[in-house]
Amino acid sequence: MDFALNEEQLMFQETTRQFLESKGDLAIPRDYMNGKKQVLEDLWNGLGSLGFMGINISETYGGLGLGALSLVPILEEMGRSVVPGPYPETVAFAVPLLEAYGSAEQKEKYLPEIAAGKRKFSLALLEESGELSPSAIQLKAEQRGNEYVLQGKKILVPYADIVDTLIVPVRTGGTSQAEYGISLILVDCNQANLTMQELQSIDETRKLVNVSFQDVKVPNTQLLGMENEGWAILETGLNHLNAAFASTMVGGIERVVEMSTEYAKTRQQFGQPIGRFQAVKHRIVDMKLALESSRSLSYYASWAAENNAEELSEAVSMARSFISEAYIKAAGANIQNHGGMGFTWEFDCHLFLKRARSLENHLGSPEYHREKIAVELGWSENVIPEILMS
Amino acid sequence: MDFAYTESELAFQKELRAWLEENLPEGWLEGKRVIPEDDNQKAAFLRDWYRKLAEGGWSGISWPKEYGGRGASLMQEVIYEQEMARVKAPPALNIIGTAMVGPTLLQIGTDYQKERYIEKILNGEEIWCQGYSEPNAGSDLAAIQTKAVKKGDKWIINGQKIWTSYAHLADRCFLLARTENTGKKHEGITAFLVDMHQEGVETRTIRSINDRRDFNEMFFNDAIAYDADIVGEVNQGWKVSLILLSHERVGVARQTFRLQKQFEELVELAKSMKKNGRPLAADPLVRQNLAIFRTKTKALLFNYYRHLTNTIRAGRPGPEGSMDKLASSELGQEMLAYAISLQGASGTLWKGDASVDQNWQQEYLRSFAYTIEGGTSEIQKNIVGERILGLPKDIKY
Ligand SMILES: Cc1cc2nc3c(=O)[nH]c(=O)nc-3n(C[C@H](O)[C@H](O)[C@H](O)COP(=O)(O)OP(=O)(O)OC[C@H]3O[C@@H](n4cnc5c(N)ncnc54)[C@H](O)[C@@H]3O)c2cc1C
Repeated sequence: MDFALNEEQLMFQETTRQFLESKGDLAIPRDYMNGKKQVLEDLWNGLGSLGFMGINISETYGGLGLGALSLVPILEEMGRSVVPGPYPETVAFAVPLLEAYGSAEQKEKYLPEIAAGKRKFSLALLEESGELSPSAIQLKAEQRGNEYVLQGKKILVPYADIVDTLIVPVRTGGTSQAEYGISLILVDCNQANLTMQELQSIDETRKLVNVSFQDVKVPNTQLLGMENEGWAILETGLNHLNAAFASTMVGGIERVVEMSTEYAKTRQQFGQPIGRFQAVKHRIVDMKLALESSRSLSYYASWAAENNAEELSEAVSMARSFISEAYIKAAGANIQNHGGMGFTWEFDCHLFLKRARSLENHLGSPEYHREKIAVELGWSENVIPEILMS
Repeated sequence: MDFAYTESELAFQKELRAWLEENLPEGWLEGKRVIPEDDNQKAAFLRDWYRKLAEGGWSGISWPKEYGGRGASLMQEVIYEQEMARVKAPPALNIIGTAMVGPTLLQIGTDYQKERYIEKILNGEEIWCQGYSEPNAGSDLAAIQTKAVKKGDKWIINGQKIWTSYAHLADRCFLLARTENTGKKHEGITAFLVDMHQEGVETRTIRSINDRRDFNEMFFNDAIAYDADIVGEVNQGWKVSLILLSHERVGVARQTFRLQKQFEELVELAKSMKKNGRPLAADPLVRQNLAIFRTKTKALLFNYYRHLTNTIRAGRPGPEGSMDKLASSELGQEMLAYAISLQGASGTLWKGDASVDQNWQQEYLRSFAYTIEGGTSEIQKNIVGERILGLPKDIKY
């Protein structure tokens, strides 16, 4: 029995922290919010040269050949600094899927570039309904000769404005409700005629974009995995990606616990550091307890992902449902602990709250994940109305 | 990261399982788990069970072999608690003796004390209680006023203790008394081993909200202890009491594993109860709540494993136990409260009239003690805030 990160993983953590601090720590998301999109290029190059873009890419393709657990410390550090950019989408969605389902040609084309920090991925999943179910995937991909022609619209696609490749779940067959008939297509943005509509979000560190596909032609060779069998692949990828988001959120919670603790030690009122008042002290302790539980659940989720454990889906849903809510609560309490200072744009408290909110319902609300737990554990059939499945 | 037990740990688990199957009371494993209501019958039941444990070599397992233990490792102790929780074994009556008093005497007791007490703790011949709390000294334990005054080689003890678990069944008491009134309040305390069967000691049971009489008031009127009954040095009792507590290595494990079991039973309850002809477990809201409890119980289990990993690596426990105690006691309360809610209008029926299983009502009421006994939640939060986060110390007088 051993439930801790190993030496190497601890080293990744330290190196990432040093790297992000050298890049300005919370100045990174600030710069990005202020429109300096080149900070992402800078980050990607740096992460590439550290080898952190290739953690879970096999050695043949220029990576380190490690598993999901080795991403955990890096993701936590990114969460601590509210780092913008599709790192989770790239390393925890595109990479595991390309490794498991990519053709030799696809691996050759994409993995070395990802490892070098030269290619970013995102996932274009949601459509008008906003739901996360097979029936929500209606974007049509029709086969014409050796091409697919895509027609439809995806919404709320993270960083679609800057990524190089989108993984797009499309409908290639089946009835409109069924899992069967969904396929995943790799769409290289510079070769496709995509219409982008950038959206304003309270979390300006995660750019969301609506993407329209009008007669977008993509070679057949860009099909990821088997045609019509994409739903199961998507679910695998979502498990990895949600485990990764959980880790970034843990980093965020850790940071707000530290901010509150520091402030409570130094800010004086009534001649006392405010941390002496139990109303403040105990609130910070509650944040700390939530952090511990969050970290345990995220470790477990990534352990399950790395080992492809039977309980993967349940582990991920436990992590996501708990941590999403814990992060929002802790980030809110952090504002309260800072008083008026916490309410200012200048001070960093709001960055965490906004990131927490933008991830809460991204790829499954807490209710959605709890229902998944119920189904996974066999508490009778799925009985949740569609309304909760978004 | 690795969740597996080693071969020898698995063998240990198997041995204990086999023993439990043989020795648990009739019908226990099948779910007929009722501890007698009547106080005398209950006492006899608990003594019987404890004797069985001792005879089977399953009490004080962490004790060195030369003193009758198994020299169990921390991992083995953890497995022991896991197995006991899995079968919901009856409580071990002399747990204060085996988990705390015995190991303390082995660590700092005199040869006489080891000779006189150790064997009888393990075999259950002498049951121990812990006399710390007083009417005016609970969270602020160092404020105790029970006095011990030296007279020749004797100490004359006067004062009152309260909330002493199982004092009415106990033969001996590990008692903290004030021996010095000058200086700081935690400096004048001494730890005594006191004979409960003497004229100067009187116990009165206190009835608790779950209609049990498990804890007591103790009155000391010129009760007597001897020099030889002092543990550690005179006026060093505060330090001794901390040593005693440091031996309670698996209390949190016990709580954590009980929670896992309680959760499983909660799911069974929700599956077995019906609303509008459908099992409650199919009700969307109930499923949401169950999933929350599932997640929290798992989180606490993994928190415990992470802290256990730290303890094993560092060779000693850190202050994280307070976080585990705090979180598991509060979650236990939440789950039991929910179990009662699920039972609807008949959820308040208890004892023989309980609609499902009387243990739910019993344990629901019992759960209000979780956040009081062994240091209240507020005190635990102070400990976490101050020792783990380094926040400024609470106001102390
Ligand atoms: C079932 C049970 C079994 C027990 N068994 C034993 C036993 O065997 N031996 C023994 O010695 N004792 C035993 N106890 C006593 C137990 O240790 C005390 O009840 C506990 O320490 C609290 O003390 P108190 O009851 O005096 O409450 P108080 O200390 O008076 O507390 C009352 C309330 O005030 C709060 N409070 C107190 N101080 C602070 C502070 N500084 N900051 C914030 N809030 C504060 C508490 O958290 C609580 O909510 C037992 C108690 C129970 C319930």
